[in-house]
Amino acid sequence: MSITGRVPLLLLLGVVPVVLRPAGSTVWLWVLLVGLLGLADWLLAPRPAALELSRRPTPAVRMNHPAETLLLVTNTSTRTVRGVVRDAWQPTAGASGNRHGLRLAPGDRAALVTPLLPRRRGDLRAFGVTVRLPGPLGLVARQRSVEVPGTVRALPPFDSRKHLPSRLARLRDLDGRSAVRVRGQGTEFDSLREYVRGDDVRSIDWRASARTSNVVVRTWQPERDRRVVLVLDTSRTSAGRVDDVPRLDSAMDAALLLAALAARAGDRIDFVAGDRRVRARLRSAGVREVAARLQDTMADLDPVIAEADWDALAGAVQGFGRQRALVVLLTPLEPSAVEEGLLTVLPTLTRHHRVVLASVRDPELDRLTAARDTIDEVYDAAAAEQAQSRRVRTAALLTRLGVDVVDADAERLPPALADHYLGLKARGLL
Amino acid sequence: MSSTVAAARPGLGRRHRSTLVVVAALAAAVAVVLVLGTGDDGRTARLDPDSSGGEGAQAVAGVLDDEGVDLEVVRSADAFDEAGVDAGTTVVVTSADQLGESTVDRLVDHARGARVVVLEPGPELLALLGTGGSVTPLDTEDVVPADCYDPLYAGLEIEVDRGVGVPGATSCFDGALGVTDDLVLLGAGDLVTNDQVTRADNAAVALRMLGQDDRLVWYVASYDDLTGDDGVDVWSLVPDWIRPGLAVVVLAVVGLIFWRGRRLGPLAIEPMPVAVKAIETTRSRGRLYRRAGDRAHAAGALRAATRSRARDRLGLGAGTDEAALVRDLARHVGRHEADLAALVGSGGPVPGTDRDLIALAHALTALEEEVRRS
Repeated sequence: MSITGRVPLLLLLGVVPVVLRPAGSTVWLWVLLVGLLGLADWLLAPRPAALELSRRPTPAVRMNHPAETLLLVTNTSTRTVRGVVRDAWQPTAGASGNRHGLRLAPGDRAALVTPLLPRRRGDLRAFGVTVRLPGPLGLVARQRSVEVPGTVRALPPFDSRKHLPSRLARLRDLDGRSAVRVRGQGTEFDSLREYVRGDDVRSIDWRASARTSNVVVRTWQPERDRRVVLVLDTSRTSAGRVDDVPRLDSAMDAALLLAALAARAGDRIDFVAGDRRVRARLRSAGVREVAARLQDTMADLDPVIAEADWDALAGAVQGFGRQRALVVLLTPLEPSAVEEGLLTVLPTLTRHHRVVLASVRDPELDRLTAARDTIDEVYDAAAAEQAQSRRVRTAALLTRLGVDVVDADAERLPPALADHYLGLKARGLL
Repeated sequence: MSSTVAAARPGLGRRHRSTLVVVAALAAAVAVVLVLGTGDDGRTARLDPDSSGGEGAQAVAGVLDDEGVDLEVVRSADAFDEAGVDAGTTVVVTSADQLGESTVDRLVDHARGARVVVLEPGPELLALLGTGGSVTPLDTEDVVPADCYDPLYAGLEIEVDRGVGVPGATSCFDGALGVTDDLVLLGAGDLVTNDQVTRADNAAVALRMLGQDDRLVWYVASYDDLTGDDGVDVWSLVPDWIRPGLAVVVLAVVGLIFWRGRRLGPLAIEPMPVAVKAIETTRSRGRLYRRAGDRAHAAGALRAATRSRARDRLGLGAGTDEAALVRDLARHVGRHEADLAALVGSGGPVPGTDRDLIALAHALTALEEEVRRS
């Protein structure tokens, strides 16, 4: 139950009878009158149960992009119903303007559209629908909250999408050229064509030229159908925020760019995410929609305050197949976590695969080492220097084990990882 | 010595001159207030028999006294109770606005049988005396003739600046004087004042009104005699409907609270994510060093970092030993080897104070800058 603004107004109107008949009893009689009117209004008000509520599913949307949710309200009673409906969502779903006026004749149906603007990655849930139906006098309303389940999946924003065109251009440049520069394993013969000026003379196929009147060159294409396995660490180290963005989100951004690029390059992409256990797995996504499927898989991954179980994650990687692959470990270069967890499984991984570790670097560390004006800052700088040197030592250790380390700021990690991938591809090292 | 004092004195005086002026002015003001305050002994009230001011009534009181009337001035209810009052006594009450319920009761009690003259009664006093009627406006622009059957005032005229009409069984001077049995009410108190007693027949009216008996008790009422119950009740001054009206307003406000206070559904809650600052561990390690005052450790870390960066910069291998690094560095930046060994060497002196540590940190930064530039 709830009252409307008319009740205090009506109570205030009691001043008139009180002026006409100044006595305490007038007040009580007036209150009684208002109470009786209110009770009558409440009894006459339509029941919220007479409204049938259902929700249309909301398609997934990228974070910070607008969406809307559709709530269908059907009047199953024999009376006209008017009132207010509030479609509540958790605050980060950004459900602005979620209160809707309602006026439904018997049997009518209305579609209430609430705009959403997800500001957080993951599945954002509807909180419940509240219906408030005032009586014919507009004094008192019946109010009820009903659970009408609904979610909107906010996908990772994939901000690094802007780097994709330039990397695709470089990928196209690799066509034909990579084989010219490096004649090693992993370059594949593509076709023969006529020599045009500018072609490397070393690529001329003399045997084929001899059979025709023109000079013919061999063209090569970069290796295709390689496997890329993305391993996303969702353990405690990924929860750390760098410039208020969790490391996990930056790592996702890098993974998405690499996946989109590798898919265009004709490689197959597998994805596994986990901490103590494997949280998500995606096998050999198709060429076109790999980024979309990956976004969907990543959407509801959240950092877990637990140590990563690298044995389980390495097992998942091996489970994708024995074929040699590029294994990209998206995990922070955190010396203690790497030394205690990752190092034990690295030899098995490096034996079968090429392993790259992509880590989100914290620019705050550099800022700390640079600021040295007060004694507090100097001590912080010393601590930061020590952390830096430990990172360097760990990175060197990993390099010795045959792991490539890509350590860059959140902003620069996706293009850096993509470039590293292109470099490997150009050299035919996949 | 004396010159110092002589020099200091005017400086002191100049510095505190404004303060002294303010203090002196304050003292003077206090003195004036005290002098004026003591000069006023409370005999300046309107119609006071001892007041010689324009508003006082010393003239009338003095004439009555001279004419053989036994005049007694009482200034409190207790004193009035002690004054002998009988049938041959006239009681005149001034400062009547200072009478309250309890003092009126005492007055009526004690003055029973005596003639009571009340000068300038207010509406509340009329209610307390139970005379009925109320104070009415009075036109006093011209001389007002007695115009009544009371032989005492027949043929007399009064002239006052202002006055009011009061109720009475016998009403004279357009109602400025009302007589009911032994109670005489005078709305035109002006005619008794020193200033106006000489106008028209004012003096005659005053003397006839007050000099009827051999004995006259002049009661100057005072607030000091009032008891707690006499405070004027605010509710008696406001209309009847205010109290229930306020109750209505309060109820309406309660209704307003319920109207605005009821939410349209429960508060939407957000499952909060884990928020860990990645840099937090490094910072707390820094704080730990600070608390422990571990300058040796901090200096070691800073020097090692500078060494490793210099090694990269000079293109030396990671395995280069420290002595070779310092030698190369000295050649590169053109400084003494021993100086550099003391600055960046792991065996360099441990800074003794926080200040030294900051200086070392700055020196290392400067050295790195030098290496970068050269």
